[in-house]
Amino acid sequence: MALLEVKNIRKSFNVTDALGRNRGKLVAVDNVSFTIEAGETLGLVGESGCGKSTTGKLILQLLKPDQGQIYYAGTELTGLSAAKMRPWRRRMQMIFQDPFSSLNPRMTVGAILSEPLIIHRLVPAGQIRARVIELLEKVGLSAQHEQRYPHEFSGGQRQRIGIARALAVEPELIIADEPVSALDLSVQAQILNLLKQLREEQQLSYLFIAHDLAVIEHVSDRIAVMYLGNIVELCTAADLYKNPRHPYTEALLNAVPVPDPKHARPLALAGEIPSPVNPPSGCHFHPRCPYADNLCRQQAPELKPLTGGHLVACHYRDQVGRYLVRV
Amino acid sequence: MPPRLNVDNLKSYFFTRNGLLKAVDGVSFHIEQGETLALVGESGCGKSMTALSILRLLPEPGRIVGGEIHLDGRDLLHLPEIEIRRVRGNDISMIFQEPMTSLNPVLQIGDQIAEVLRLHQGLSRREAFDHAAQSLAQVGISDPIRRLRDYPHQLSGGQRQRVMIAIALACDPKLLIADEPTTALDVTIQAQIMDLLLKLKQERRMATLLITHDLGIVASNAERVAIMYAGQIVEMGSINDVFSNPLHPYTIGLLQCVPRIGEKTSLATISGQLPDLTKNHEGCLFAERCTCLCNKKQQQRPALKEVTNNHLVRCWRLS
Repeated sequence: MALLEVKNIRKSFNVTDALGRNRGKLVAVDNVSFTIEAGETLGLVGESGCGKSTTGKLILQLLKPDQGQIYYAGTELTGLSAAKMRPWRRRMQMIFQDPFSSLNPRMTVGAILSEPLIIHRLVPAGQIRARVIELLEKVGLSAQHEQRYPHEFSGGQRQRIGIARALAVEPELIIADEPVSALDLSVQAQILNLLKQLREEQQLSYLFIAHDLAVIEHVSDRIAVMYLGNIVELCTAADLYKNPRHPYTEALLNAVPVPDPKHARPLALAGEIPSPVNPPSGCHFHPRCPYADNLCRQQAPELKPLTGGHLVACHYRDQVGRYLVRV
Repeated sequence: MPPRLNVDNLKSYFFTRNGLLKAVDGVSFHIEQGETLALVGESGCGKSMTALSILRLLPEPGRIVGGEIHLDGRDLLHLPEIEIRRVRGNDISMIFQEPMTSLNPVLQIGDQIAEVLRLHQGLSRREAFDHAAQSLAQVGISDPIRRLRDYPHQLSGGQRQRVMIAIALACDPKLLIADEPTTALDVTIQAQIMDLLLKLKQERRMATLLITHDLGIVASNAERVAIMYAGQIVEMGSINDVFSNPLHPYTIGLLQCVPRIGEKTSLATISGQLPDLTKNHEGCLFAERCTCLCNKKQQQRPALKEVTNNHLVRCWRLS
């Protein structure tokens, strides 16, 4: 049994203009399904507006899906009341992108880390401080940081505090929404290594959401690529870069700049990302796709398996790879 | 002939309540016509402050306290204010990271492009609008005449950055400063914008100072690169020299931090943090984080020295 199973979830938002008049529906997540096994890292990659963050919020029941089910360790979470959801929240935690706005500036680090321990009644009052210090050390900080406020820390240190807060309740699944995109390169590497090390030590599972394909590829076992609310390709990390079968994945791989002057220049994909309020007909990717024809304009392809559990939603998946720039 | 841009021993200090902060501390480089120099470093290394110093737009309480900046041999630091205003947006233009906050939200984009042309080239309103439509077409915006009437919020992030580029290039500048021009954009749009900048640079033989933290962008878009750390350049050379034979421990560390597709090895990190620049440091600024253990570095600051042809490094190991 998978730790997390997401089944055909859909979420739409009503779009209103400045005067509050209805201007249509934005389908942020459309018929998305995937599983995460215990100890696994699933990467969710895509550009702005593709629905990757909404998917994370749906799993935590911070948003209610319009359709579909979410199962955690075999129990359906969709439709649970807030009170019934609480024990499950302890088992799933979130790490946010912006380490500056996700920590309360008026609370000391000690208070930030004790709060979840108190709410979930995890340790007796006398042991809270010892546990806080243990958490700080686990993420590479120390007891001397306990009485300080968030503004006294650098971006990387704040992200460590955010991670310690998520770990406080001993979760099994961590949803990390762009955890390193606000950080400098050398700090990004430190945080990625920390997340990997914690996964091994605590047998954590991650849903790792990011827009940077190189980062995603580095941390994930399997990767789901999203475009305008749909998963268009889902496969192992190695398959994704060696054998992409969706034209969008191929375009993303070609567009990533490689830090090597001998490597080919990034290849630009034509066109803009369409508005999710009014997505293109048929396959949403067809206006930007070099393989597209009439069939793609009329009919949306289904996400279907190839060999080895590699899922692709493309009518011409056998042809994809023609434009891939090899290293 | 003098280089297009020459920056010599530039010092920009911030006189803060907590003391003197040496944001830019003795930076020298030059850029030739048609050349792109990338200025790379992490937050707080002084790369943006170097760019703002060139335009003499340092925010308070910053001041340029030393050095010289010449554009085609013309001394920029000693120009009267009225003269430097003629240089900004005309001879030297700048593109910023966040196109939404750099455009005026209550003005149509046509007015914003035309403003530069009317101010610097003395065009009439009519001529300026015709020219603005041409500029929009050049940066790849379809239906440019109708787009002139759009407000910034009606455009996507990529289109806004194209408008920013149209404004920056309207007067055919000699030098373009691009400060993280694609950081706020998606990766497929980033590739489009970098292609556009390359095309325009080649057409106009413009010199470009490209400020970025992304080593991938540097490798595919610059001829030379300068790596900055704590207000100083620590390594400078052609991209081939610096990427295939990095010499400064900081450059080596940065290159090893980058996750690369298809390589699953654990990432190297640079331990420690930037030194506090309000404190006085006598020795090498990278000493605390450096893995090499040269005994000299604690007492004295190493100079930026040429190691091989046009490849300069600031490190005791190599001098």
